[in-house]
Amino acid sequence: MSEKALAERFNEVVLPHLGDALSLARWLTGNAADAEDVVQDACIKAHAGMSGYAGGNPRAWLLTIVRNTSYTWMSRNRPRAMMAVGDLGDLDEMAAAHGTSLPDEDGPEASLIAKADAAALEAAIAGLPQPFRETLVLRDINGLSYRDISAMLAVPIGTVMSRLARARGLLASELGRAP
Amino acid sequence: MTARDDGLPNDPEGIRLMIHALVDGELDAAAALAVERRIAADPALAAEHARILALQGAVSRLPRPAVSDAFLARIAAIGTASTEKAQGDEPQRAAPSALPGLIAGPAQQRRATDTRPSQARPTTRRFGSFDWRAMAASIVMSAVLASGATQWVMFKAASDSIAAEIAGDHRRSLLAASPIDIVSSDRHTVKPWLDARIGVSPPAPDLATDGFALIGGRVEVVSGRPVPALVYRHREHLITLVAEPQQGGRVTEPRDVSSGGFSMVHWSDGAFSYWAISDMERPELDDFVARFRKAAV
Repeated sequence: MSEKALAERFNEVVLPHLGDALSLARWLTGNAADAEDVVQDACIKAHAGMSGYAGGNPRAWLLTIVRNTSYTWMSRNRPRAMMAVGDLGDLDEMAAAHGTSLPDEDGPEASLIAKADAAALEAAIAGLPQPFRETLVLRDINGLSYRDISAMLAVPIGTVMSRLARARGLLASELGRAP
Repeated sequence: MTARDDGLPNDPEGIRLMIHALVDGELDAAAALAVERRIAADPALAAEHARILALQGAVSRLPRPAVSDAFLARIAAIGTASTEKAQGDEPQRAAPSALPGLIAGPAQQRRATDTRPSQARPTTRRFGSFDWRAMAASIVMSAVLASGATQWVMFKAASDSIAAEIAGDHRRSLLAASPIDIVSSDRHTVKPWLDARIGVSPPAPDLATDGFALIGGRVEVVSGRPVPALVYRHREHLITLVAEPQQGGRVTEPRDVSSGGFSMVHWSDGAFSYWAISDMERPELDDFVARFRKAAV
């Protein structure tokens, strides 16, 4: 493919999804200023790898690069934050255990959740363990399908579903507890 | 909870995951109906459903980071910088490497007559693992069949470039999960809808019993004119069928014009000139075409 076609494709595939890329990077790194640095790095990688883009969902393709770039950036700039993530297998087991032990009636009223203010919700999302947070952000903020998320995280769809349910459960109880 | 024969999990955790999947639009109609029935029958599940909806609504209302003009310009510069640098050697590099799916831009369209996209089509490309909605692609073709020159040569040249364009447009359409303008499995809904909009509607047989369900219709623009398009679904694959009304009434047999990693077949029945495109393998698309032609007669 010519450089020109590559550049055209870069404009078509990458530029429309910068907002989503920034959202994801913001939630993975924790702040908006770092997000711009990460997304810029990711776009350079996307441009270099453009000939490897084989069609399909361009947003998922770009966000995969953004996610990987975020973690590379985090391990370089915030090694301690990365260490706090813990073992993913344990988290999934923990999620499953909590999921079955939580009675359905346990959650707060839907109206309480709907009234929660943005700052409280953002704080609750920021407080989620990383695997739950990234799954929730990819689904509810970036709007990816279970299938796309499963491919991106290299986990089975069942794991995506249980992480998502767990993330939402944690958010709901957090918001329900707020005054 | 009493066991039900609706194919849903009966453990509390399993049914909760299904409610999440319902809210996320991940269930097909049958499963969605079954979950909705469970929710209607169980106040605890209904409360969970309401909680998930409320939470999703709250998350979607969160402010998004703005893409500032300065940032957009910085990113756009990544793409253009290398273009300007490489403009000089572009012609030599473009022609032999005109891979399918990468065909875009005026440079390739000029060369569409001397490339053979169907033969170079890689067999490793798979779109099936992506969300099928993202495949609800719109196809914009500009069919220019000028008269005067040798008809056969012109036809071949034009349809080759159309095939190349379809591939490019199909890929571009993936940027936006382009909706089906009218979602309906009922041809008695789709045909009047198309009729009302553009005054023409192609045969729209429902081939659900053959495994090809009609899921909707769309208006496409070909050569600056609106033309009807039907969307069929076969398992996870979508088939877009563009039906351009014909003036001359020429009948042609199905011809493979696959391009850009998509299977594509073109034929005419005298009333319409059809283009079927899908990410399915050719034999499956041929099967669809055969069934459609049989049913449309």
